[in-house]
Amino acid sequence: MVVDIDMFEKYTKKSPWILHYNAGSCNGCDIEILATLSPKYDLERFGVINTGNPKQSDIFLVTGPVTYRSRERIVELYNQIPNPKVVVAVGSCASTGGVFRGMYNVEDGIDRYIPVDVYIPGCASSPELIMDGVVKALEILEQKRYDEKN
Amino acid sequence: MEYILILLLPIIGGLVYGVERVVRARMQNRIGPPILQPFYDMFKLLGKEPIMVNSYHIVFALMHLITLWVVVALIVLGYSLLYIIFLHLLSSLFLVLAGYSVNSVYSHIGSNRELQTIVAYEPILIFVAIGFYMIYGTFDIAIIREQSSAIGELLLLFFAFLLIVPIKLKKSPFDASEAHQEIVGGVELEFSGVFFEILYMARWIEYVFIYLLLFLFAGDNILFATVLFVTIFLLINLIDNATARVKINHLVRIVLIGGLSLSIINIVWLWI
Repeated sequence: MVVDIDMFEKYTKKSPWILHYNAGSCNGCDIEILATLSPKYDLERFGVINTGNPKQSDIFLVTGPVTYRSRERIVELYNQIPNPKVVVAVGSCASTGGVFRGMYNVEDGIDRYIPVDVYIPGCASSPELIMDGVVKALEILEQKRYDEKN
Repeated sequence: MEYILILLLPIIGGLVYGVERVVRARMQNRIGPPILQPFYDMFKLLGKEPIMVNSYHIVFALMHLITLWVVVALIVLGYSLLYIIFLHLLSSLFLVLAGYSVNSVYSHIGSNRELQTIVAYEPILIFVAIGFYMIYGTFDIAIIREQSSAIGELLLLFFAFLLIVPIKLKKSPFDASEAHQEIVGGVELEFSGVFFEILYMARWIEYVFIYLLLFLFAGDNILFATVLFVTIFLLINLIDNATARVKINHLVRIVLIGGLSLSIINIVWLWI
């Protein structure tokens, strides 16, 4: 199988801009995401910028089990990100509800509301895991852009 | 020769911006992105789905980019400095209008702050032009480039000019108009995909504009111009890494009181 990536498609992988949203998390995974952008783990060498703007980002990093107030906001933010986009659920709370599964105040994970591409386990996920997940999400992003073109 | 340089302006600006991101990262003990990263960003943005709010928004951003490109082209060709400063004011006003043309609060706040920074830095630019006129007797850049450097007599004006460089390059402590964490980018909020590329490219050309004005202080001495460029480049990035953002009213106050008083003292001293 010959995959023909055109001239511009290969640059999708080289400059992923992330949007980081906290859907009711305890902030543990948020701190680990910010640590990934710090000098020791340095996500910026992949060209990653943490934009706060959904209209300019490719990767939607979500933490936290979805609480009542953040349900609509998650879907709104997801809709405002232009295609192609990937969603990465960071932490066990965002993937399955974590320790709060079945509680009265959370929905169990974000995949009830938006389609998720990469699940990163951990409570809290370590920065190496997050980087691994983001790099895997980049490959999915490149594949999506290639699929969209054809 | 100069026409080729004018056509390649975004590429030069992109390289300067790329090197700056690496320098900033190295100062923070990180590795930083590759130097060609702004061009990777540009190609990626070209592939995003274009979401447009309304067409005036995009047209104003395009006019901002085109007038900024014309301004730097005129500097390269050596036209009158005063005319260039006023044309640059026009390009900033296009950006402000772009921010006001959408129905978004953060965009309006960004435009409001951009207007206040224009009030802060525009008088100082005009005083710099007047300073050049009093030394060289002309506003023409083509003639000023051929003379020897007069930075000794223009020293206070040079410091006033350094005060406004962080404003134009959107760096701390004077980056309130594009306050990333506060107003989510200000004017650039509602731009996405290829339309954001317009503003991104305009930022690169702004870098070239400021550094070309910096070269004017060095006259025809190319070695001095290079030394000045490298020193001010590192100094601006050092200050960016070391300071926090000031509030917009403090920005206007600091730049107007500090910059204007330095400029007026220098002009009066030149007159006497």
